[in-house]
Amino acid sequence: METIALTIDGKKISSHTGTSIFEAARQSGIIIPNLCYHPELKPFGACRMCLVEDENTGRLMASCVTPVEPDMVVQTASKRVVKHRQNIVRLMIAEHPESCIVCSKGNRCRLRWIAAQLGIGETNLYHMPNYKPYEEANPFIIRDLSKCILCGKCIRADHELVVVGAIDYSHRGFQSRPATVHETGLEGSSCTFCGTCVSMCPTGALSTKNTYYVGTPEHETNSICGFCSVGCSLAVGTSSEKVIEVNPAHLPGSVNGATLCVRGHFAHDFLNSRQRLITPLIRKNETQGQNGLVPVEWGEALELVANRLIHIRTKYGPQSIAFLGSTKCTNEENYLFQKLARASIGTNNVDNGGYCSGQKNTHVIFDNMGGAYRTSRIADLENAEAIVVLGADPCHSVPVFSYYLKRAAKQGTPLIVVDPRHTELVDFASMWLRPKLNTDLELINALAAVLHDEKWHDLAYIDKFTKGFRDFRKSLKMLDLGRVSRLTGIDRNGLTEVVESLKDKKIVFVVGRGILLQKNAMQIVGAIYNLSLLTGSIGVKGGGVYFLAKENNQIGAFDMGTFPDMLPGRQTLGDENNRKNWERKWNVSLSRNPGLNMVRMVEAAERGKLKALYVMGENILRSLPQTERVRQALSKVDFLVVQDILYNETTQLAHVVLPGAAFSEKQGSFTNLEGRIQPFDPVTRPPGKAKPDWEIIDILQAKLEQTEAYGDLEKIRMEIRQHVPAYASLNGKRQTWIQERSEMDFSNGADSEGSVKFIPVASIKPESNDSDYPMSAIIGSMRYHLGSGTRSAVSKRIQGVDQEGRLEISYQDSITLKVKDGDKVTVTSRCGSLTRGVRIGKSLSAGHIFVPLGFNGNDAMNLLALSDYTEPDTPGWNTCRVKVKRV
Amino acid sequence: MHPPEIELNELDGIIERHKNGKWELIPLLQDVQATYGYIPPESITPIAEALNLYPSQVQGVVTFYSGFSLKPKGKYVCRVCRGTACHVKGSRSILRLMKRELELEEGETSPDYRFTLETVACLGACFLAPTMMINRDYFGKLSPTKLSSVLGEYRQKGNNKNG
Repeated sequence: METIALTIDGKKISSHTGTSIFEAARQSGIIIPNLCYHPELKPFGACRMCLVEDENTGRLMASCVTPVEPDMVVQTASKRVVKHRQNIVRLMIAEHPESCIVCSKGNRCRLRWIAAQLGIGETNLYHMPNYKPYEEANPFIIRDLSKCILCGKCIRADHELVVVGAIDYSHRGFQSRPATVHETGLEGSSCTFCGTCVSMCPTGALSTKNTYYVGTPEHETNSICGFCSVGCSLAVGTSSEKVIEVNPAHLPGSVNGATLCVRGHFAHDFLNSRQRLITPLIRKNETQGQNGLVPVEWGEALELVANRLIHIRTKYGPQSIAFLGSTKCTNEENYLFQKLARASIGTNNVDNGGYCSGQKNTHVIFDNMGGAYRTSRIADLENAEAIVVLGADPCHSVPVFSYYLKRAAKQGTPLIVVDPRHTELVDFASMWLRPKLNTDLELINALAAVLHDEKWHDLAYIDKFTKGFRDFRKSLKMLDLGRVSRLTGIDRNGLTEVVESLKDKKIVFVVGRGILLQKNAMQIVGAIYNLSLLTGSIGVKGGGVYFLAKENNQIGAFDMGTFPDMLPGRQTLGDENNRKNWERKWNVSLSRNPGLNMVRMVEAAERGKLKALYVMGENILRSLPQTERVRQALSKVDFLVVQDILYNETTQLAHVVLPGAAFSEKQGSFTNLEGRIQPFDPVTRPPGKAKPDWEIIDILQAKLEQTEAYGDLEKIRMEIRQHVPAYASLNGKRQTWIQERSEMDFSNGADSEGSVKFIPVASIKPESNDSDYPMSAIIGSMRYHLGSGTRSAVSKRIQGVDQEGRLEISYQDSITLKVKDGDKVTVTSRCGSLTRGVRIGKSLSAGHIFVPLGFNGNDAMNLLALSDYTEPDTPGWNTCRVKVKRV
Repeated sequence: MHPPEIELNELDGIIERHKNGKWELIPLLQDVQATYGYIPPESITPIAEALNLYPSQVQGVVTFYSGFSLKPKGKYVCRVCRGTACHVKGSRSILRLMKRELELEEGETSPDYRFTLETVACLGACFLAPTMMINRDYFGKLSPTKLSSVLGEYRQKGNNKNG
């Protein structure tokens, strides 16, 4: 790059070829007025606000699209330039409706701001309003295109950042406007309501729709999104201690940049829900108040919890008590919570809601790699050589992550999607493999076998870093590819085609719930790991495995040890040394009993073995299968404590309800799916008497142990920093990353020879046909709800979309079943049934039905069996056999 | 009367011909327009998929050029020139006459889909002012009498072909 010297506003500056005058000026502190510029979008030159004058030639040019040239002498605010700018603004205002007083953009309107800067009040021009459609049929976005200044930010954000393409310019001249295909409303287009365009719109042409008038926020505070595991940075707008608006926070290096998704932008309504818990409740008498729950003071509630827990421990022993932590609570809270269970009560019966998303199965790689190379940065996806997406629907489950995948694909990175459904991502894929349900294990093994057959494996990498390759290749050779083709429905040519496109490339694997909840999940993750080693893709740039965790602190909850046989820092409880270590740190003796996971807790309750259960931030009556069975089991528990933010299905059964605080009302940190630890501070106070969850556990722990409480989050953080090496950098100031163990350094490879091991090839038994239940239901998420939807379902605006969560069926099945769009069907499995409307879609092949999670009280889980899916011979939670009948 | 029925199967062939080239969108749209007389809105999505564009982008191009139309047009598209030279030579009267003769306003198509009346900024045949085009044929130095005879001819043509 050549250095170029030029003068801007009399200041001599140097810049590089290809830099625009606008950027060059900005870098030296000269801000040129603009309306269509955005640092994350390509320059566009639509608004002409950034006009500057070249003194040498007298030319006026849009500085954002004009590259610097040697010896230019540029004036950014000369009389002539200002006059032109003023005229452009006058013309824009002459066309603009005079509705500022009720415009929701209010004082944040960039047009008004620029007009004020240029001293334009009355335009003295003939007013020529340009009436265009006003649209508000959808629950999220109001489009008032008469206020549109055609800067194209919405269109460019849609194309360049979110990669959806729902809108583009239509018509020209005075008629031109951003439009959807066939000029339908946004609800009839491919728009995903991510709201990125709304945050970018400089005027009131695009604004958020609210269920009531909220005005402009008084304050804006940064926070981290409370929904999925991407962990987007938010700018939360508040008025009188109430969250009224959410926008992406423009922080350098944040995951999301200028983007968000529909949940992040619009589903935070739950914070103001009337279902928020605002006072501790205890069950005094079945006839009183809400279900017998009566409001009490904190002192009384916590005293009761402490006394009852001590009583039950004395009477039935510590193993009769269980603790369920939360993937939505902070690292600090989960650390305290498991410490409460292990140290104060003396049980390892502690799990978190991440069980429901198969988080445990990701551990195969963690164990085999010895915990190294855990962080896979999302930003690296755009530099990947090839991406393979397995059993994941990121456009719905982790939308902001999917933007990276789609951008990579648009740039030409080979993207291979392996999924029985035609997901939205398939439209961007270079190749789509559609294996039969639950045959991914065979497929991945076969890919490894073909790759090895063709001798395209990375021998240098294998020699240097791995062991067990000889045995592994032997077992690969044993693989009967004919059988694989029969099982998966993908023939040898199909496999070869895939392998060819992966030849000599490092591969990024993106693994979703379709894999992690399969009954062979552990083996499949093992196969993915083998294939990664075979292609030399772990621990190198451009490769890696990304597990799409469901909830925002799923990773953190595991790291903090809210998991039965794993101590903080993911140290196995079974290891004598680890246990000793923690006993010393906490100055207690720890139980050797491996503890119960979430499902085992319910089973123990069912058998009457579990006497007390403390649930923090999980609504298990909504997230677990077979709701009725879980309800029965929980009613047998002598003492049920539920600490949550919303009055929900599980709080109804509780003996004590403790009102916690949502993420925006407390201090803490979340760890996202890439291993980024993101601390945050409160935006508002918790409602009513509610307290931050860490404070509640802290007080309770002090009561139980008769010691002093931490009282300060920093003290908890300090303890985590000291005791959990991966979190040594956790502090309240800035984002950090999980600290990797350094002994396995693939970059020099000197002392890591043969340190990682191939896993022997495993095989599956094909699923037998079940003539009573001839169809298969695929259970997955849709973008409007996260997980079981406890929070999103009480969000007013989310309630405005298809409440029922229509099932999708294929066209062929619609004919066999004689149903049309909107008809109701009953889906029955061996465990339960549900009735919903159907929609005929193109994503499924015949014999399959798609059931979206989160809707309708999350009744989708009723189809599944409540059994431990990590045990052999149990059904997974991703699919199940069903029969479908028209109502 | 409904617009003439169209068979969309020809679309596949057109798309196939243009699929792999570079900058093929406009030639493709021209072919579609030549085949159907307009761009059927339902063809936007298949075209976009074949060319790896967003449907909204294809629509943007279609609506940008006045040469493309998303609505069916008449068999004979009359374009009256409203350029400066023609204006001086009385094109306003020519347009008024056309409107009266065809009983159409600018941009409208007759219910029997025989005529469409449009205006253009300039046909580039100023030496023949006032001018108009019907489909691909120029008619210059128009006068009310000449106009009637030209229209008469086209009416005749249409009648003959339609039986």
